[in-house]
Amino acid sequence: MQFFQQIVDGIASGSIYGALALALVLVYRSTGLVNFSQGQMAVVAAYIAYSASNAGLPIVAAVVVAALASAVLGAFLERAVMRRFEAGSQLVTIVVTVALLICLNGLVSLIWGADMKSFPALFPTRDLAIGSVRFTMADLGTIAVLVVTIVVLKLLFQRTRFGLAMRAVAQNPESSAQCGLPVGRLLMSGWALAAMVGAVACCLVAPTISLEPNMMDGVLVYALAAAVLGGLDSPLGSVAAAWGIGIAQNLVGSSLDFIGSDLQIVVPMVLMGVVLLVRPQGLFGRREVARV
Amino acid sequence: MTTDRSWPRASLAVGVLAGVAAFVMLALLPLSASPYMNLQIALIGAYAVAIRGLDVLTGHAGQASLAQSAFFGLGAYTAVYGFGHGWPASVSLLAALVITGVVGVALALPAVRLRGFAFGTITLAAPVIAVPLANRLTGVTGGSQGLTVSALAAPEWTGLADDQWHYYVVLVIAAVAFLLVQNLLRGRVGRGLDLLRTNETVATAMGIPVMRYKVLAFTVSALCGGLAGWLYVVLVEFISPEALQLHLAVFMLVAVIVGGLRSPLGSVIGAAFYVIVPEVTDKVAPGRSYLVFGIALLVVMIFFPTGVYGGLRLLMSKLTPRAWRSRPTTSTATDNIATPRGATSCDDEALSGPSPRSVP
Repeated sequence: MQFFQQIVDGIASGSIYGALALALVLVYRSTGLVNFSQGQMAVVAAYIAYSASNAGLPIVAAVVVAALASAVLGAFLERAVMRRFEAGSQLVTIVVTVALLICLNGLVSLIWGADMKSFPALFPTRDLAIGSVRFTMADLGTIAVLVVTIVVLKLLFQRTRFGLAMRAVAQNPESSAQCGLPVGRLLMSGWALAAMVGAVACCLVAPTISLEPNMMDGVLVYALAAAVLGGLDSPLGSVAAAWGIGIAQNLVGSSLDFIGSDLQIVVPMVLMGVVLLVRPQGLFGRREVARV
Repeated sequence: MTTDRSWPRASLAVGVLAGVAAFVMLALLPLSASPYMNLQIALIGAYAVAIRGLDVLTGHAGQASLAQSAFFGLGAYTAVYGFGHGWPASVSLLAALVITGVVGVALALPAVRLRGFAFGTITLAAPVIAVPLANRLTGVTGGSQGLTVSALAAPEWTGLADDQWHYYVVLVIAAVAFLLVQNLLRGRVGRGLDLLRTNETVATAMGIPVMRYKVLAFTVSALCGGLAGWLYVVLVEFISPEALQLHLAVFMLVAVIVGGLRSPLGSVIGAAFYVIVPEVTDKVAPGRSYLVFGIALLVVMIFFPTGVYGGLRLLMSKLTPRAWRSRPTTSTATDNIATPRGATSCDDEALSGPSPRSVP
């Protein structure tokens, strides 16, 4: 069942893109901008987990520590750097997030060095087989973590007052402020949550691709494509799109010979292009409405 | 809604004098400067063409594009192919323009139906696909090793060295390109682009052929990118897929915003930033140049959110006596590529003013 194997592998790789895409959507929904440094913030977290693990912590605890640290980093960056730019030109926010990407990249190289490091595996290295379809525990673990993350976020946003407050600020900051909501702190929380999700994504993929400062650059491209394809304001949509991209990439890559591993990126790009032409707001996005 | 149309006489005189001085300096410089210096300045000129082209699409038409490096690469590879096969320079130049123009239109026609971040991400496809493609097509592109050519040799009658000749050719062609673009932007097209950037619905209602203008802006941008690539090869005499990584596309977008949108001088400043600052940071802090470059970018954006050119103008206006000051120009409020969040209120401010996100 080659077909099902491809699908499973696709969902597994898509989960990584999906997790980072989820982080991108969280930032877009809370602060209205696309954070090009999301991947790099995740890399910082992975390096923190690496150091924590080297210091003796079990790897899962190290990842938790890293996630908390990246939440602090995310909140700090929003308050210290991004806050002044959020009300202004979006093109400037692009430059600022790119500048953050460069700074964080340089920081990582400075503190930990630019050589490749190996990251301890998070899941036992057993393989499972159902019929002729093989899963690695890492694949299953990744998918499971992503699903749990989505469920937790959904519950957070729909069932808690905090989530309600965040949704209010995202939709109408002025009215939220007038209702007494601490808008600044909620914006910071949006970035903190996104940073945590990104951190988990990077730690999940790190055992496979080894730690190095540029490790998330490729994933960021896929995550951007997935986020836009699914709709920048739809968390579920972007994850679904990411899975779709992962599956399509595997299926097309294995059936068409001339698409080797280097041209694999063509598949999600073409897919994205085709879908966006028909639905510019993405598969699950909301149509932009502006009054004239 | 225009750029610097309103310089009063005194500032104009100063500007013209400065321009003439700069022209004379640039014309005489290569005769005494080192080949390295000539190369750097000419490179600034070449990149400035690409960035000016991107400015037409991003600054004037309001669409952030990440495809410029792909067109740059296309022009560069055409140049290398032409020089390698003994074509006269003008033929390879024409070929570079035609090829990038055709590809530009082909990419533009579907892409302009999108806006904002969706458009940006679609243009992302161009460099992302171009690099592995360039690596693959070893026959034409020389694969990952790239190709070296010896481009224009200085003709005998000039008595110039090769690098000086390249300098003059590149800067003259760049100047012509800038003039052509400026001419385009001063006319009906420029005004149309300004309006469709500010409010596309109103532009359509007024009868401006929005899609056609967007395709035009995209194609002009592509042509400039291709030309810049051709100029790059004349100077550097080498191209490889390495030079066309996604970083170049992102940095070009960064350069156009940092230099100053909707301004030819801003494009030159952006190109200078891109060429010079990494060199400087490398000397100042070797091994940490990336970090310092990032900090430099952040600092520039914090203090000059309208770009370096905008900041310089502000500085100049603060230094000139009140009577000489020019009228205020466009605000950066039109530099949003997607609808500002929460833009559902009725007041005009929501559309032409800053995004209604006022964080207490």
